[in-house]
Amino acid sequence: MTEAVATHSPAPTAPGDRGPMLEVEAVHKHFGGIQAVRGASFAVKRGSITALIGPNGAGKTTLFNIVTGFYRPDSGRILYDGSSIYGQRPYRIARRGMVRTFQITKALAAMTVIDNMMLAGAGQPGEHLLTLLARPLASRRRESEVRERAMGLLATFNLERKADDYAGTLSGGQRKLLELARALMPEPRMVLLDEPMAGINPTLGRRLLQHMEELRERDGVTFLFVEHDMDVVMNHSDEVVVMGQGETILVGTPDEVRADERVIDAYLGGGAPAESGEETGRLAEGSPPQENKPDAR
Amino acid sequence: MSPLLAISTDFLTASGFWIGVGILAGVYGIFTLGLQLNVGYTGILNFGQAGFMAIGAYSAVILVVSVGLPFLLALPISMLITMTVGLLVGLPALRLRADYLAIATIAFAEVVRITIQNSDSLTGGNQGTISLELDNNRIFSQAWFDVSDWISLNVFDQIGLTGPDYINLPLLAVAWLTLIVLAFGLSRLVRSPWGRVLRAVREDEDAARALGKNAFSYKLQSLAIAAGLGGIAGWFLVLNLQSVNQTSFEPIFTFFGYLILVLGGLASFAGVLVGTIVLWTVLEGLRFLDLPLDGGQVAALRFIIVGLVLILLVAFRPQGALGKKEEMVLSD
Repeated sequence: MTEAVATHSPAPTAPGDRGPMLEVEAVHKHFGGIQAVRGASFAVKRGSITALIGPNGAGKTTLFNIVTGFYRPDSGRILYDGSSIYGQRPYRIARRGMVRTFQITKALAAMTVIDNMMLAGAGQPGEHLLTLLARPLASRRRESEVRERAMGLLATFNLERKADDYAGTLSGGQRKLLELARALMPEPRMVLLDEPMAGINPTLGRRLLQHMEELRERDGVTFLFVEHDMDVVMNHSDEVVVMGQGETILVGTPDEVRADERVIDAYLGGGAPAESGEETGRLAEGSPPQENKPDAR
Repeated sequence: MSPLLAISTDFLTASGFWIGVGILAGVYGIFTLGLQLNVGYTGILNFGQAGFMAIGAYSAVILVVSVGLPFLLALPISMLITMTVGLLVGLPALRLRADYLAIATIAFAEVVRITIQNSDSLTGGNQGTISLELDNNRIFSQAWFDVSDWISLNVFDQIGLTGPDYINLPLLAVAWLTLIVLAFGLSRLVRSPWGRVLRAVREDEDAARALGKNAFSYKLQSLAIAAGLGGIAGWFLVLNLQSVNQTSFEPIFTFFGYLILVLGGLASFAGVLVGTIVLWTVLEGLRFLDLPLDGGQVAALRFIIVGLVLILLVAFRPQGALGKKEEMVLSD
C-alpha cells in the first residue's frame, strides 16, 4: 500500500497548492424539456473531502455524470487539475486520475472479485492486443504487480477471503466496498462517490469514511461525494456544495451550510417561493420525482 | 414392412459421409469461435457472422481466380479485407445497444449476400461456382489439392486409410487442427488482461469506462477478430464444396452458430468444439433414420429433433455443455 505514493507519477500535492482540483463553472444540461442542471458552479479544493448535497432531483447525479464525461454538457466550463475536461470521453477522464463510483453499484457480477480489482489496475501493457502479443513478459510482470496491489487493497477492505468468488455473490455492502477498492486501484488523484453510504451498515460505513480520510491524509487524494446522510456530511467533509433545482445554491463549510436558510429552503421547499414552502415541502419529501419538474416554465 | 422407427446400420460404415460431417463441424466450429468471442466474452450480439464468412470466402476466391494472386497470398489479403469490413460495420453498428446491434448486423449480412447474388460478373451471381471456372487455368483450390495429396500420401496412406472414401480426410484434419489451435489461442487471449477488459465490457460498459477502458475500441476489436474467424471458416467452406454460392451465407447459418453456442455453453471455446460436434452429428445423423416418410418429411423431422434437443437442453442444462452456470446466473 505504501508504494501507492511512490509509483504514481505526479506527486500528491498539499491542499491549496496549485489552485482547486476541480472547477465547475456555469454548467448546464437539459434532457428534452427538463433543465436538469442549470448553472452549477463550484470548486473542489485539492486534498479535500467535499460533499455534494441537495434534495432528490437537484441534479447531483447528473452533475456527476457530466463531470466524469458520461453526459455531454450543453454549456459551461469544467477544469480538472487546471485543464479542461469539458466534453471529454469517460475513459479519458478516468485515465487522468479521476475515478468514480455509481449510485447503483456496478460490481462486474460474473467476474471474480480479484478480476474486478485487477481490471482497474492502470498501465497494463497487456490490455492492448499488439503489446500483449509483442511483449508478453512485460504484461505478465505488470500483472503480478497489479495482483499484489489488488490483494493489498482487498485486505484493507476485508475482502481478501472473497478474492476468488464471483462479485455477484457478494452482499450489497461488500459490493460497495469492492467498488471503492476498485476505484482506488488505478491510484486516482480524485475520487467521486455517488452515495457511498447508501445501503451499507453503519460499521462498514464508518470504515469507508476512515479509509477516505486516511487516503486523503497519506496520498492527498481528493474526494467529492454525494450523500444524503447529514451526520456523515456534517462530520466528515471539509466543504459542502448544496444543489437545488439544478443550481448550486451554496458552497461552504459544514457549519456555514448548517446555518444557511437557503439550504433549509432547498430541502423543504424544493426552491419554491418561501410562503408556500411548508406545503410543498411535505410533498417533496414524500414524492421525490416531483421536484424535478420545476416551475413549469 | 419396415418397423415404425428403425435406424439403418449404414451410418456406422459410411466413413466418407462422416468425414464430410466432421468437416462441416470444423468449419462451423471456426465460424462460431468468432460468435463466442462476441457474444460470450464481449456481450455483443453479432448476427452477421454469415456475412463475414461470405466476404472471406468470396474475397479469397476472387483474388485467386479473377485477380490471379497465388493462393497463399490471397488468404492474408482476404483476411485483411474481412477484418476491415468488420471494423467498418462495427464503427456505426457497435454504437447501438444489444438488440439493435443484432438487427443491424443481420441486415449487413443480408446486404452482403444479396449484393453477391446480383453481382454476376464478379461473383457468378446465383450460379456461384466461381472457384471452379478454369479460365486462365486458375483454380482456387489447386494449392490446397497439392497439400491435400501430400498429407494423404504421407500420413493417411501410411495408416491404411486410402481410397475414395478417405479423399477428404486431409481437409478434415486441417480444419480441425485449425479449429483446435484457434480455440486454444482464443482461450488464452480471453484470460489475458486484454480479455479481462473484454469481459468487463460484457458485464457493464459504463463501469469499464469509469475505470479508463475505451469500451468501444474493445468491442470493435472483438468484432473484427470475429469477422476474421468467419473469413477463415469461409475459406474452408469453399475448399469443402469446391464452389461458392450465396445460399451458403443465408442467415440460417448464423443461427446454426448460435445453436452451437447454446449447446456448448457461453463463454467457453472448448464448448464450441463440443457444440459443433453435437449439432452436426444430430443434424446429419438423422438422415439415417429409416422412417416411412418421404424425403421432405424426414428433412423437417431433423429440425424438429434438433429443436427438441435444444428445448431439453435449455430446460435441464441451460448453461450448455461447458458453460459456467455462475456466469450465466450472475450476469444481468
